Amino acid sequence: MIETVKLSKTYKGKKAVDEIDIYLDEGESVGLLGPNGAGKSTTISIISSLLKPTSGDVKLDGKSTIKNPAEIRKVLGVVPQEIALYEELSAYENLKFFGEIYKVKKNVLEQRIQDVLDMVGLTERQKELVKTFSGGMKRRVNIAAALLHNPKILILDEPTVGIDPQSRNHILETVRKLNEENGTTILYTSHYMEEVEQLCKRVYIMDHGKVVASGSKAELLSILSSEDTIQVNLSETSDGLIEKIQSIEHIRRVDETSEGIRIISKKGTNILGDLVRAAESEGIQLTNYQMETPSLEDVFLHLTGRTLRD
Amino acid sequence: MFPVFKSQWRKDKRKPLMVILFLIGSIALTLIFTSSNMVPQTTIAIFSSEANSDEVVDKWEPLLNGNESFNFVKTDEETARTDVAEGKRDVAINLMENDYRVITAYDIPTLPLIDQYVQKVFIEEAQIEAAAGSQGIDQIRNDVESYLENPPFQIQTKSLSGGEVSNYDMGIQLLFGFTLFMAMFTIGFKVNGVLSDKVSGVWNRMILSPVSKTGMYTGHLLYSFVIGFVQIAVVLVIFQYVMNYDLGNNFAILLVIAAIYALSIVSMAMLITGFVKTPEQFYMIYPSVVPIIPVISGVYMPPGTISNTVLLFIADLFPLTHAMEAMIDVAFYHQGWNEVALPMVLMLLIGVICMGVGINLVERRKN
Repeated sequence: MIETVKLSKTYKGKKAVDEIDIYLDEGESVGLLGPNGAGKSTTISIISSLLKPTSGDVKLDGKSTIKNPAEIRKVLGVVPQEIALYEELSAYENLKFFGEIYKVKKNVLEQRIQDVLDMVGLTERQKELVKTFSGGMKRRVNIAAALLHNPKILILDEPTVGIDPQSRNHILETVRKLNEENGTTILYTSHYMEEVEQLCKRVYIMDHGKVVASGSKAELLSILSSEDTIQVNLSETSDGLIEKIQSIEHIRRVDETSEGIRIISKKGTNILGDLVRAAESEGIQLTNYQMETPSLEDVFLHLTGRTLRD
Repeated sequence: MFPVFKSQWRKDKRKPLMVILFLIGSIALTLIFTSSNMVPQTTIAIFSSEANSDEVVDKWEPLLNGNESFNFVKTDEETARTDVAEGKRDVAINLMENDYRVITAYDIPTLPLIDQYVQKVFIEEAQIEAAAGSQGIDQIRNDVESYLENPPFQIQTKSLSGGEVSNYDMGIQLLFGFTLFMAMFTIGFKVNGVLSDKVSGVWNRMILSPVSKTGMYTGHLLYSFVIGFVQIAVVLVIFQYVMNYDLGNNFAILLVIAAIYALSIVSMAMLITGFVKTPEQFYMIYPSVVPIIPVISGVYMPPGTISNTVLLFIADLFPLTHAMEAMIDVAFYHQGWNEVALPMVLMLLIGVICMGVGINLVERRKN
């Protein structure tokens, strides 16, 4: 349905997006995962025709949308990262405005407004001013505004940033319903791994403007099939201990965590004895040792050398 | 375009305070500055050091107090001199039988005017005394006054168009000045809606919708124009028809001038929008620039006060100068369409240039 072909965007000599190739099939739910500054927002700005790429193309059903953005705009709903609403107006008035600019017919608009308000759970509070809403409620109106013209493709740019868990769950449930019940194609960007794991069948992992990995969750986890992740809790940590652990054979990576250290080692190797000896030599007590099931977070860490929230 | 226009209207309908405040401000400022006497009377202490000081002062005091601009007050010599020395009064006059001395601490700008007036009173009195000879001086004074009521030579003044010469009313000039000045703020703050939409992301949402860029700009700018124009029109209607100010006999031309002015201010605000990145920057810069414009344009001063060619050239770059010129021509000199065409065309020209450059800058900034 949509594909990007070697999409690049350069700002003042710096590549924000670097030859990205991604695609979305009709009715698919795809995640775009990456830390802040990875190039996710720039990518979706180009896909949604708000930005022109330095090179490359975006195609909708095989036709370039760079040359003719009107085609993609008809079928696209975009939920921006910021709260793009008039805070001085009520939720209803905002939706009416966005419905009017999308030229939704008058006799249909009223019903559509009620439908999307119902979808985001704000029917009861539609007459209240947006500025009086909590962050989560504002984000729900932000989503509702993108749904009024019944788009076939919905792009959501970090729609759950800075909101309470209740609103977050509501948003995730809304997006899931849109995809599963309405058949809306979803491109969901986030730096919250669990959201993408929950919603998306396929994931693109971006870092420094590039797609560093892609595939289904299982495909991405298989990247770590040759490694074990071990969480070791310690009474304290020291640079000397970390150095000693790093020098143990088969250990590929050591990162400090709030409770101790996280170790990535070659799959199937027993390092417990070496670990205990290293800790004893530094006078540090080992309080817990746990093998972890690898997550997408671990995949990301493995691929980029940093966590998603870096 | 209309959804954009309506959304701005809905916002203001919910929060109309700013527009109402600027409207009331125009009326209040005009009333405050025009109801009080704009030319304050100068009080001048008079005394005499002569032996018959009371007699001398009593003689000259009624003769000197024949001018609305000056108020001569009898004061004892010591107080008069101390007040001048301490800066409480600018001038005192020591009167003699047939002469006077002006006492002042420094060279004030009104000193020549005061001296000229007092000298005139003394010369006239000397002439009357000389003419009186052996007759009673009061008899001669009455004769002169009645003669002057119907003199043999009379000066008749006509305006360039042959009609009566209009009285220049500074109050009406200030009315136009304050009204147009306040409208600049209202219009500017409304045009700032473009920047607010850009920063909030609403602008991008509109770009993705079927609304054209032209429609987006037109919706915002048309709304700013309408609000600004309505504000000016309401103030002018109140003063013309409720407070009975004489704004000339062609109110329709005044409204057309107001409309063209509002349009050119929309463009000027758009130009400033092109130079800033956020609504907050606009709120900082616009109110700092706008109050300078009426000062340079001479709005608060009688015509001809500003003679510096550089200032006059700068003033010509602002629509306010041309709007004031056109409105004064219509209100005071009853000029018609042809006579005010030039300032109107100049305002339109400024508007076209500012709008072109402003939108270009805004669009370039986006890219």
